[in-house]
Amino acid sequence: MADKNVQRLPAEELYQRELDALVAAETDPVPTGWRMSPRSALTYLTGNTKVKGVDITPKYMGNRRLVEIAIATLVTDRALLLIGEPGTAKSWLSEHLAAAVNGDSTKVVQGTAGTTEEHIRYSWNYAMLIAKGPCPEAMVKSPVYRAMETGSIARVEEISRCASEVQDALISILSEKRLSVPELGLEVPAAKGFSVIATANTRDKGVNDMSAALKRRFNIVVLPTPSDMATEMDIVRTRVAQLSAGLDLNARQPGEDVVEKVVTIFRELRGGATLDGKQKLKTTSGVLSTAEAISLLANSMALAGSFGDGRISDGDLAAALQGAVVKDEEQDKVTWKEYLENVMKKRGHEWLPLYRACRELNG
Amino acid sequence: MSGPILFGVRHLSPAAAFRLRKALDQAKPELVLVEGPSDLNGQMQWLCHPDAQFPAAILAYTREPPVRTILWPFAVYSPEIQAILWAHEHGVECRFMDLPSSVFLGFREAEEAVEADHDRPGTEEEGTLTTESVYQRLETLTGEDHDTFWERNFEQLGESPDFQAANNAFGRELRAAAADSRRDMAETVVREAYMKRVIAQAVASGIPPEKIFCVCGSFHVAGLEENAPMTGEEEKTLPRADCCATLMPYSYYRLSSRSGYGAGNRAPAYFELLWDALNGGGVKDAAYLYLTRLAAAHRKAGNLVSSAEVIEAVRLADTLASLRGSGYPTLSDLRDASVTTMGHGSFSELALAAADTEIGKKIGFLPEGVARTSVQEDFYRQLKELRLEKFRTAELQRLDLDLREKLNVKSEAAALGDLRRSFFLHRLRVLGVHFARLLPSRQEGANWGEYWELRWTPEAEIEVVESALLGDTVEGAAAFALKERSDGSASIAQAAAIFQDAFLCGMPAAASHALAVLQGLSVDAAAIADVAETASRLSLVVRYGDLRRFDPAPVVPLVKQLYLRACLTLADACVCDTKAAPAVTQAMDVLNTLQLSHDFLEEDRWLALLADISDRDDLNTRCSGFAMAILLERGQADEGLLSREVARRLSPGVPADLGAGWFEGLAGKNRYALIARLSLWRQLDDYLSGLDDETFKRALVFLRRAFAGFSASEKNDIAENLGEVWGANPRQAAELLMNGVTEDEKKVLDSLDEFDFDDI
Repeated sequence: MADKNVQRLPAEELYQRELDALVAAETDPVPTGWRMSPRSALTYLTGNTKVKGVDITPKYMGNRRLVEIAIATLVTDRALLLIGEPGTAKSWLSEHLAAAVNGDSTKVVQGTAGTTEEHIRYSWNYAMLIAKGPCPEAMVKSPVYRAMETGSIARVEEISRCASEVQDALISILSEKRLSVPELGLEVPAAKGFSVIATANTRDKGVNDMSAALKRRFNIVVLPTPSDMATEMDIVRTRVAQLSAGLDLNARQPGEDVVEKVVTIFRELRGGATLDGKQKLKTTSGVLSTAEAISLLANSMALAGSFGDGRISDGDLAAALQGAVVKDEEQDKVTWKEYLENVMKKRGHEWLPLYRACRELNG
Repeated sequence: MSGPILFGVRHLSPAAAFRLRKALDQAKPELVLVEGPSDLNGQMQWLCHPDAQFPAAILAYTREPPVRTILWPFAVYSPEIQAILWAHEHGVECRFMDLPSSVFLGFREAEEAVEADHDRPGTEEEGTLTTESVYQRLETLTGEDHDTFWERNFEQLGESPDFQAANNAFGRELRAAAADSRRDMAETVVREAYMKRVIAQAVASGIPPEKIFCVCGSFHVAGLEENAPMTGEEEKTLPRADCCATLMPYSYYRLSSRSGYGAGNRAPAYFELLWDALNGGGVKDAAYLYLTRLAAAHRKAGNLVSSAEVIEAVRLADTLASLRGSGYPTLSDLRDASVTTMGHGSFSELALAAADTEIGKKIGFLPEGVARTSVQEDFYRQLKELRLEKFRTAELQRLDLDLREKLNVKSEAAALGDLRRSFFLHRLRVLGVHFARLLPSRQEGANWGEYWELRWTPEAEIEVVESALLGDTVEGAAAFALKERSDGSASIAQAAAIFQDAFLCGMPAAASHALAVLQGLSVDAAAIADVAETASRLSLVVRYGDLRRFDPAPVVPLVKQLYLRACLTLADACVCDTKAAPAVTQAMDVLNTLQLSHDFLEEDRWLALLADISDRDDLNTRCSGFAMAILLERGQADEGLLSREVARRLSPGVPADLGAGWFEGLAGKNRYALIARLSLWRQLDDYLSGLDDETFKRALVFLRRAFAGFSASEKNDIAENLGEVWGANPRQAAELLMNGVTEDEKKVLDSLDEFDFDDI
């Protein structure tokens, strides 16, 4: 069993029971290199059933069809690209897809401005290289390399943050399904089952635009922000419960009303209009994604657990909201104040304590 | 076998149509009965005409207004059509067996009467299950919309002989699960009893029951098995409406928007493709056909699609289908797959191509001589004669007409071709047929150009059919419509509009009728704006009448009469408040143009009137100012008069709003003449400097309004004038203006943001 003291367990360890139950209950044909059939993988991700007495929790609570397309893409050994606003569960979905398909979601390349071609292909252990010259032992294989060897899935996070030459390194791997190591005169063919799941952020558009050649090698699935209030509240509630269980926050779960308030504020500021559509609002510079709402609530739980009576008070919530909404001091502050005065103040007595607490922070 | 063969179908289902033909081949019936209006059997032969192209529809309509219509649309893959065609090909008798169209329309009439009687909402029992809700429940259960569910489970059975049993069973189960609202269910029962009666009659006429082949919705199969046939007395009690029927072409676009009921068809072009695939290489071809057509359409729209992407789309669609447990991809699988591979994840990129591939622009065609209303015949004959046939498409197309006579062509008909087209299109417009839309005219060719947008829709065709009540030809119907309208018109403006319509339609008789009505109405008092508007409409006819081969002689006396009337009442109309003043100045402008356009209108009278209005102090100052502006424009006021008037109107004793109002009127016309007169600006400057703060604020409102209409360059010129007046050196001023705004100035400007003009 995995070490309980790590801060965050990978998906396959966290949900090992569910995965094992699904593998044990398998009846459909399993593709080469996969641990379970595509249909079981779909069950794992969309959840809400019981398999062999084990509850399968929903991992992705959005359009079921998108998950179907994502899994079908991996079946056809095409690479999958998940695109979306920040906080639309791209990495989350990618991790769970890898966990379901391979039982291993840890072959990850994190795309940054500093990612080099070696991170995608391979690099050298220079001490050994100097001592022994080029030999297989001196080679440091990238996660993509290892995935090719084992016929499993490699993940590339935030691919659009990499420089374009690094992105280009993927093209030959994805089209030829081979990786050449000229130093050793080696050609590594990808084993059956190899694929890549990449994620990209729509807000990063224009930072390092993906080339048409690379885009063409991916099947692209766009993940939307949750379509309605109920779905988003569901997501927030479930994720906060999961998150706080892992963090020992000593606080009670946020009540329905608290979740509703946070999601309402987020949806309104994100959409630029009140939920009833009657009033136009300014939008903030930040994205105010569902993921932020989740961390905001976890944050207030931490505040309440450490310094309060364990229940999220309006003061805790106000402080957390302030931090989440006001990212750019000048503009966001104006937006937030306007929202407080024009919308929240007029919402009736249930919102009044929160309004007062927020108001206090904003002078 | 004991009873007749009941073949349950889904309307507009290619698989059902395909299986149906196979079943017919096998059964070799002596009589084919098809669900459709039993009084319209005569229309079948036309549907079988070799030149007829689907989609087409049978349209029944009541003879008396208000016109009620009912439609039976058919696509080439409609099982009903294939049954009719099969019977035609094999020389087997074929009949419709549903309630007659007159009864359907009778039901609607009776229903509306009932609704009008007791206007009580919510008579529908709460909680009853309608077919709609059964479909909804089915959707929640399967997680797919009904079209996809149908396609996945039934449409793909097209190659299997189990289809008939499966579909009949589905209809039976659906019927058991659905209890429609009481009224709909009652109608279903009546229809089934009637169909049963038709079958019984056929049996009675000596055809062995097992040689009778019935094609009906699978929903009705159980009903036809269980219910008793309608008796003769019962049939007599059915309500009937007096009605006619005609055939009309239909469009796939319209077919796709009729998807409200369970047998809808959201993607007619795709279904036709399925039909082609079934008759060609089999269901599996549909995916290739769809994706390659989609890719082609997407390329045509200027996008890049590689064959590799199409191949990937096929593979992905297959995998998606197998995830859902179906043998072949459905439309939703295909579409999702193409969005993922060709559309970069967003449907919006593919929307245009998808609409083209799934819905399509196809419209039907019926050959000449097919049973149609005479007005339809006339419509099509004229389309052909006027060479407008190429505009009979589902796409919006532009048509530019040049109404002038063409001198370099041989026949007279060709020389005036565009004019005749214009007459025709205007007549359709008058009839309310939405086939052509007149676009606003442009600067170029404003006199002789006419710009239209044309698009054929089934709605337009229905509107043509509806006008059959007014006359036998398009012209006759338009004449009748115009006559009715002019008899009903109450004001001269209305009558003038009708006269203008008749003029545009090229119908002198209708025009003279409207003119007579107009003459009668013009005796009564009318607002100056109406009189001016009417006179100017008539003036257009006088000026450009010959372009449309129209003799303007009878119109001239009426224009004179209206002009005189306007001249006599204008001065009185100028006694009005600020709100009414713009309408009066507008009328003055119109009358001025009118007088300038026609020599037969006395100029002296007009100028004298203007001078009088400009002079008088007891009228609305804005009107006086505007009269002055017209005089200036016509060169009837010299510098001296202007400066005297300015001095008089803008003297310190006069209330600021009156003075500024006068200036507003003056600035309403011919601004360059004002801008060019430096003395005017000097006087205005002197006047404004002399005002105290309070009066200045009042004057500001009017002046602001007056200057609001000036263009930026005009304002610039005024600023230069003022610079001149204040003795500023233009070069220095320019330099100053080019400099950036300093911090102090910015503060001053910012404080102006708060300045609220509404408070003054």
